[in-house]
Amino acid sequence: MTIVFLHLSKKNFSASIAYGIQSLVIVLFFLNSFFETNNLAILLVVFLMLIVKVILAPLFFIRLIKKNALAFSVSTYLNTPLTIISIAILTFIAHYQKFSPLTSIVPANQDSLSLALSAMFLSLFLIINRKGALSQILGVLSLENSIVAFVIFAGLEQNPALQIGIMFNIGIWILIATIFMSMILKHFGTLNVSSMNNLKG
Amino acid sequence: MEILFIFTTIIITIAISIFVKRRSVIEFFSVLTALVVLFESGAIALKVSSVGNYTPFGLFSVDSLAVIILLVISFINLTVAIYSIAYLRQETAKNIIGFTRVRQYFTLLNTFLLAMILAIGANNPILAWISVEATTLSTAFLISFYNKPSAIEGAWKYLIINSVGLLLGFFGTMLYFTAVKFPDESGLIDWQLLLNSASQLNPVVAKIAFVFVLVGYGTKVGLAPMHTWKPDAYSKAPNPIGALLSGALLPIAFMIILKFKRITDAAVGQGFSQHLLIVFGLLSIVIAALIMFNALNYKRLLAYSSIENAGVMALGFGFGGMGALAAILHLIYHSLVKGAMFFSSGNLLLKYSSARIANIKGATNVAPITSTLFIVGFLVVTGVPPFGIFLTKMQILSAGIESYPLISIIALFFTLLVFVGFLKHTLAMFFGEKPKGIEVGENNIWLILPPILLLTSIIILSFYIPSFLSALINDASVIYK
Repeated sequence: MTIVFLHLSKKNFSASIAYGIQSLVIVLFFLNSFFETNNLAILLVVFLMLIVKVILAPLFFIRLIKKNALAFSVSTYLNTPLTIISIAILTFIAHYQKFSPLTSIVPANQDSLSLALSAMFLSLFLIINRKGALSQILGVLSLENSIVAFVIFAGLEQNPALQIGIMFNIGIWILIATIFMSMILKHFGTLNVSSMNNLKG
Repeated sequence: MEILFIFTTIIITIAISIFVKRRSVIEFFSVLTALVVLFESGAIALKVSSVGNYTPFGLFSVDSLAVIILLVISFINLTVAIYSIAYLRQETAKNIIGFTRVRQYFTLLNTFLLAMILAIGANNPILAWISVEATTLSTAFLISFYNKPSAIEGAWKYLIINSVGLLLGFFGTMLYFTAVKFPDESGLIDWQLLLNSASQLNPVVAKIAFVFVLVGYGTKVGLAPMHTWKPDAYSKAPNPIGALLSGALLPIAFMIILKFKRITDAAVGQGFSQHLLIVFGLLSIVIAALIMFNALNYKRLLAYSSIENAGVMALGFGFGGMGALAAILHLIYHSLVKGAMFFSSGNLLLKYSSARIANIKGATNVAPITSTLFIVGFLVVTGVPPFGIFLTKMQILSAGIESYPLISIIALFFTLLVFVGFLKHTLAMFFGEKPKGIEVGENNIWLILPPILLLTSIIILSFYIPSFLSALINDASVIYK
């Protein structure tokens, strides 16, 4: 739902909040996994995710939006009706029979795995369809959340080294992407990536 | 513990680059570190060639292919460190950069080196993934080093495309993990465990996983159609960084693809991964050849050449057998020659203050040694006899001619087209009348020595390969056939 909202949202602020909510849902999945397994490493991951993805990252973005008065996000390559049609098609594809070997890794979670797969497709589409740098960053982070959701539903989340590694990586990634957004704003005066057309030949 | 010595030295140099305010100290330690890394890599290579895999601790292990790449990277890094000092001094003299930028450069350069070495030796696919992602993050700032709009644009493209690619690679990695029952609390899954568990992998999941991994790490390699970041990033990064991106990062990402290929092959047989590599390889050669012909910028030309050569390597591993052996040799030759070409093109950039091919005329009269180095590099990289790349290209194509005659013929045609396209630009740049106002003479001996060193080594390696290296190449070609 949050990814569909990210597609339809016209405001950067609400998009950042949607990302925070999406991350919170992933944290809740992990929390559930902790209650099932009593694996303390998963609890550590829950805390790390809560701090980095649910609190720090949306705050980073909101601060940037306020500082640079980026109230409205820039446009999409496809208009809203076409975007909705594309979302429907991608969701259908994710539930298509061809992907059943992936979605039946844990047969009990087949529907959830299909949803996670469609979330991955929609996140990729978000990165491609949006012209705003912030939307692209949210698309990458949303893709990461979708993959983590898939990993949880596939029962692979019990590897703590894996999760801590991702958290460390994503923490740094958010920081660097934010720095780059500031640089884009400074040089181009906008976050609209379609204004970047200096590279040719 | 050679590897601990390597890591410690690099970390100390990173700290020095951050905290010390004397340029000469930072430069000295960067070169010293490069020498230490090369020396220790040589020691590790000798060990691996005589006793097999080098595993100083659980998380770090290098096999024959990894140590070949470690050695190549260490060597290129030494030339990059030497060249960077002279190159950045020239840029400082021209008021292009100040001391703060120089400090940033050496900090990021050594961070990049550390991440690359970690990626090479990571005994765990997740650690390898994190290390490769770390290379993306450190190099993004190196690509935007000049802080111009076009550089920011190139770096942004690089960051987004590679991050998406690597996330897809991560998803593919996770799919491989479905074969493994989590063994203990630590939950660490190394390459060998994945390989041993390959028979437990659902064949369809294994195929999908390999597609994701190939697309993910293939983005980093620059295989078409995921290559679009490469010309932008290469053309905007400082020239020595271009040498590392092309000569060092490309083989690392390729090595990780090959590790997953082994696992996939164990699960579903060789045919699937080989066919995919052939498709991506041929596509890369064709696209690079067609674009190179109309390139406007000589740094972008080198980027397209890297795409073409990545395609040739993919074909080699796709054809397998003799093709794999030739692809490993091709990887070594390409890394060395691309370093030399980025250095000589950097010298041209310092002379002409332009990377546009149309602005470079009569370079042989302006900088004869640099021009000779670039022209020799062009002959080597396009596969003109008697240089090594000629032999490796021929070996790869002959490995494929029996099973895939049409693909081999198409690849041959487009590699010839690459030569013609490159020749056209080379003739335009190096001959004719020089523009007015361009000072005649070479820049600095330290800008000439690194490419000479690289070209000399590739010429030597074209005719003679030391026994320890030969043993490593043979062993790697058997493992990754």
